[in-house]
Order: sequence, then C-alpha cells, then structure tokens
Amino acid sequence: MGRQQPIELFMPPNMLKAKVGGSGGLDMAAIKRAESAMNGLKSTFSDMAGDAVTALVAAQKAYAAKADPASRGGLLRAAHDIKGLAGTFDFPLMGRVAGSLSRLVGEAPADKLLPVKLVEAHIAAVQAIHRKSITGMDDRVTLALLAELEAQVGAALKA
Amino acid sequence: MSGYRFERLKVLVVDDNVHMRRLVVTILQAFGVHHVYEAGSGESAWEILREHNPDILVLDWMMEGTSGIDMVRMIRVNPQSPNPFVPIIMLTGHTSLEHVQQARDAGANEFIAKPVSVKTMMSRLASVIEQPRPYVRTNGYFGPCRRRRQNEHKGAERRAAAKQAAE
Repeated sequence: MGRQQPIELFMPPNMLKAKVGGSGGLDMAAIKRAESAMNGLKSTFSDMAGDAVTALVAAQKAYAAKADPASRGGLLRAAHDIKGLAGTFDFPLMGRVAGSLSRLVGEAPADKLLPVKLVEAHIAAVQAIHRKSITGMDDRVTLALLAELEAQVGAALKA
Repeated sequence: MSGYRFERLKVLVVDDNVHMRRLVVTILQAFGVHHVYEAGSGESAWEILREHNPDILVLDWMMEGTSGIDMVRMIRVNPQSPNPFVPIIMLTGHTSLEHVQQARDAGANEFIAKPVSVKTMMSRLASVIEQPRPYVRTNGYFGPCRRRRQNEHKGAERRAAAKQAAE
C-alpha cells in the first residue's frame, strides 16, 4: 500500500449567508416573479430558435466544407444549445431531436467522419419543428421521426 | 419564505449562448439580484472576476474556447485566481452521472441540468447560501468537498487529522 497523501480540510466563513441573511427555504414570491418573467421570454422563443437553427445549419455547412475537430465542435455546441433552449422553452420534441444529434456528434469516434445523411436528417427535423411551432410531446409524426432518428443514432454508434 | 436579501448579491453568468444567458439573467433579476454581470466567454469571465469579484458564478459547461470545466479548474487552482472559493453553479445539457462527477471533480459546487427551471435555480442558490461545503486541498484537487453526504465515503478514512485541525 502506497503512502497516503495529506489532506487539508477546512470550512471558510460563510460570507454569502452573512451578506443575504434570510431564514432558508424557497422564496415562493420570488419564484412566482421569475416564472412570470420566464413566461414572457417564452413568447420570444420562435425568434431565439430561429437564430439557433440558423447557427446549426451554418455549423453543419462548416463541417461539410471541412471536417475537423473545430467544425465538429461547432456542430456539437450548436446542437447542444438547441437541446438546452428548446427543452427550457417548452419545445421538448425539438430538444429531443437536438439531443439525439448531440449524442451522435459527441459520442461517435473522433477519428471517423460523421454520417452526413443522418446529421442532415436531424437538422431537417429541427427545422420542421421550428417551422410548424410544434410544442408538447403529442405530435405523432414527429414522435415517430424522433424514434427513428434515435434508433439510427444508436445503430451508428454501435457500428 | 427565505427572506434573502438577493439585492446584495453579485452574480456572474457565463454562457456563450446569448439566449440562454438572457434567460438566466432574467430569472436572477426576478429573484431580486441587482448586480448581474454577463460574459460570453471564459476569457471575458476571468476579466469580470478580477474586476468585480462576484459572490456566485453560474457557468455553462459547453463553450467555445475555454470550456466551463476548464474555467472551474482555473478559478480553483490558478495562483492568479481572484477568489478560489467562489461558489460555482454549473449549467449544462449533460445529464449523465459521468458528467456530474466530472463537474464535481473539477470543483463545481452545484449542478443544474437543462432544461432550466426557476425552482431549480432558486434551490441551487439556497444550497450554496445555506449549505456551503468544506473545502479540501490534496495534491490532485482543490475545491468544495466532494462527499455530499456524511455517510457517502466507504473507503479508508484519511481525514481524521484534517477534521480535527478544522475544528
């Protein structure tokens, strides 16, 4: 058994608590104010998503023009951004499709080219969901498409 | 009701996605935080850290250039760091246990998985205010204690002397 390294453990003074005071627990009035403000932002999601979809298409074009770690990283970030935004703003199907694309780009071997058709299919699905403003998880056609995309990503990652 | 004086806090929000940054800033301002600084990159965040010394960071994981994880490591161990103890709430679309552990191992205090909810944001803020963790310094790590529960560690106890020293 090797010699164990020394560990220093210490508790810094809680300056935050001293600064904000309070009695702990959740401030429900502040939560209501923030939920109301967030609902206001949700009405602008279509514009936000438009920007994000444009960025995703640009990232895909950059990867198609020159497939290298930088362009692949750009594609991953663009998909990841949509995954986070769409889920937060009640577009869960768009978030799931972007999540599937994130998984493909993030988990496929770094030394192999991404399957172009599968990437394009994800992007087309994101564009369609945005164009049709599909909220919720009830759209059967999109659900079927999502299942197919996720299955193909699973198969591509196993290959 | 918490009764927190959030208006006294300075919070830095770091995210290279302007829309997600706007969302987090909106939530914090609705909570009553008056001093919210924004950075779109790790480099810009470092400047704001040095200039304004915020009380809390809300930091996105996946950014171009310096990633959120790199940023956490810099803040914790870089000798030039303005405040190695600043509480960091890591914001990410990654939800796997592996990613949570990676954020924890870098020195993040709390973790918010997207989609972002108001209640989760409030809960993580309350957590860094009410339940700060002790800090640990070893040869390979500096940051908040990674044992979140007292009974979590099953291995040999190496901290008896350190705990006594802390007391």
